Amino acid sequence: MLEIRGVTKRYDEVTAVDDLSLTIGSGGIYGLLGPNGAGKTTAIRMIMGIINPDEGQIEVFGEPFSESSKERIGYLPEERGLYRKMKILDHIVFLGEIKGVPAKTASERAVAWMKRLELSDWEQKTVESLSKGMQQKIQFISTIIHEPELIILDEPFSGLDPINTQALKDIVMEMKEEGRTIVLSTHLMDQVEKLCENICLINKGRIVLEGDLSGIKMRFSRNTLTIRYRGDKAELEKHPGVESVNDFGQELSVALKEGVDTNDVLRYAVERGRVDRFEIGEMSLHDIFIQQVKMGGGEIDDKAAQSR
Amino acid sequence: MIKLLKVAKREYLERVKKKSFLIGTILGPVTMAALVVAPGLLFELTPETQEKIAVIDHTGYLFDNFERALGDTLESGAPMFVLREVTSGGSDIEEIKSTLGIEVDSDALDGYIEIPENIVDEGKATFFGKRAGNVKAYDRIESALSRAVIGKRLSGEGMDYESIRHMIQGVDLEALRLEKGEEKKGEFMLVYLTSFIFIMMLYMTLLLWGVAVMRSIIEDKNNRVIEVLLSSLKSKELMMGKIFGVGGAGLTQYAIWAGFSAVLYLYAMGMGGMAQYIHFSPTTLIYFVVFYILGFLFYSTLFSIVGSICNTDQEAQQLQMPIVLPLVFCLVTAMAVFQNPDGTFATVMSMIPFFAPIVMFLRINILMPPVWQIALSIAFLIAGIYVMGILSAKIFRVGVLMYGKRPDLREVIKWLKQA
Repeated sequence: MLEIRGVTKRYDEVTAVDDLSLTIGSGGIYGLLGPNGAGKTTAIRMIMGIINPDEGQIEVFGEPFSESSKERIGYLPEERGLYRKMKILDHIVFLGEIKGVPAKTASERAVAWMKRLELSDWEQKTVESLSKGMQQKIQFISTIIHEPELIILDEPFSGLDPINTQALKDIVMEMKEEGRTIVLSTHLMDQVEKLCENICLINKGRIVLEGDLSGIKMRFSRNTLTIRYRGDKAELEKHPGVESVNDFGQELSVALKEGVDTNDVLRYAVERGRVDRFEIGEMSLHDIFIQQVKMGGGEIDDKAAQSR
Repeated sequence: MIKLLKVAKREYLERVKKKSFLIGTILGPVTMAALVVAPGLLFELTPETQEKIAVIDHTGYLFDNFERALGDTLESGAPMFVLREVTSGGSDIEEIKSTLGIEVDSDALDGYIEIPENIVDEGKATFFGKRAGNVKAYDRIESALSRAVIGKRLSGEGMDYESIRHMIQGVDLEALRLEKGEEKKGEFMLVYLTSFIFIMMLYMTLLLWGVAVMRSIIEDKNNRVIEVLLSSLKSKELMMGKIFGVGGAGLTQYAIWAGFSAVLYLYAMGMGGMAQYIHFSPTTLIYFVVFYILGFLFYSTLFSIVGSICNTDQEAQQLQMPIVLPLVFCLVTAMAVFQNPDGTFATVMSMIPFFAPIVMFLRINILMPPVWQIALSIAFLIAGIYVMGILSAKIFRVGVLMYGKRPDLREVIKWLKQA
């Protein structure tokens, strides 16, 4: 569906995207993760042909990117934007028309979507008279008005209340059922865990982790402990096998280095304090994200290489 | 191409539907005409009223000749000046003058003239009037009085009145304009005034709609709508769509103006006398529209460069100065072009795309330049539009996605290389 090969983009001294290679297959929801400034938006803009990469190629739908590809992709940018003075229905139709949808079709679809998202009463109102959440829904409708095969959503749920979040999530799931491919770029790890089959974690313009979500979690979980511990936390961090300690208040989440014997850590903890609970368990995507991003630097490259 | 038109349509409708468009379309030519024509028309029309003037003739013999010399008539054929002789008849001269003063105050009289006894020797008389500013009437009175006095002096030399009158008959200089060797009636002043209205309108519309393109780009940047648009069409299509849409709104305004002018023109023709106050032909109107279109395309690309690199209207206001300056320069030098429309200065100016839209149009309106010069000017202008269009499209492509600090010239040049 989407293939990115060795793509690089530099701005002055900053390399926003550094030799990025990525393959996204047809169908399913793909999570694109990364901290702020990791290069996600730049990568997406290159996929959309809004900016040109300095190096590398991008292929969409099995052919090099061309202007006509834009009509088969829907893009919801993180920075939302609508013409404030335009009437809502006119606006959606306009955005549909520049995606190549005839005005009449666009209008019919817009009316149907607005009915579903409870916006029917607002068809003839101007954008500026809407609440932020409503504007977001309008923007979402505009993104899918041309029924694209590939949908790229950048932080689609930010600023929405739980009801509307659920409504949009339902639509995303429907789109997936229909066989469309969805790329979801977000910071909200719990959503990624629930929605995505495959993920890619980008940091500083490079891929840190890539693969199917369950596989990644399996791999990281062997190295994670959940400990309820009364004693000096700093002491635990001194154990040579401990990668990092994440304090959640009641419990500690301890990430171990590769190949460390968990029994050895238990013995070490018991000698220095009281252990009420000791569990070798699953590491949340949240922890994996933080751990990987914090590590930064060269080690990540090795792991990224492994994970590929 | 279709997407470009969709963008153009949106921009066009947004502008044409605004109330300010209607107001600007109506008020534009009205204010322009009021500013430029009104003083001229007033000047032309004021003497068309009858002047009632009293004459205190201390010589006792000059009044008749003066009245005959002041034989100007109005267009209706009625005499322009109605004179009334006031004889001192023994009563106090100061008393008579104060009575006349009251009449002038109550508008029963436009003024009075006191002719002293020694006028033939001294050559001095006095006019008392409320409106000393009516230069034309004042001129006529002066020359009539002069002729009466000169006649008196000559008759002292033993000549009869009729031959004197014939001898001192003045000359009326009628100014005629030559166009393609044909005489064209119409005063130079009027050519100047109509030309000036036209170039003021060109100046205003180029500025107005150029700035509208710039604003529209800045607005899209601030709205963040630009990223959505660019995910649907090429940056070039978006930029050109904006230019065409906004320019189309300007053209609509021109069409309305042209329609009104045509009606006005036909009406004035029907009125006969009024026609001399309107000085333009269909050729003028065609060139007016042609130079608006070309000028707008050229200047809108310049304005879109400013729009692409600025984030706020305030920033843009400073940066648009270098673009506005050439337009202002055209107005400042319009007088020089008017006086010498085929001189080196005017010819060179009309070849440079920055000045061509206004200066070439002005030249055409005053004195039709050779066709090859018009063609060359238009060719240079089109080349300028092409080059500036490419430059601005490149800057637009990079600039519209840049927020934050305004780039300096060095960075903009870097953008040109990367785009």
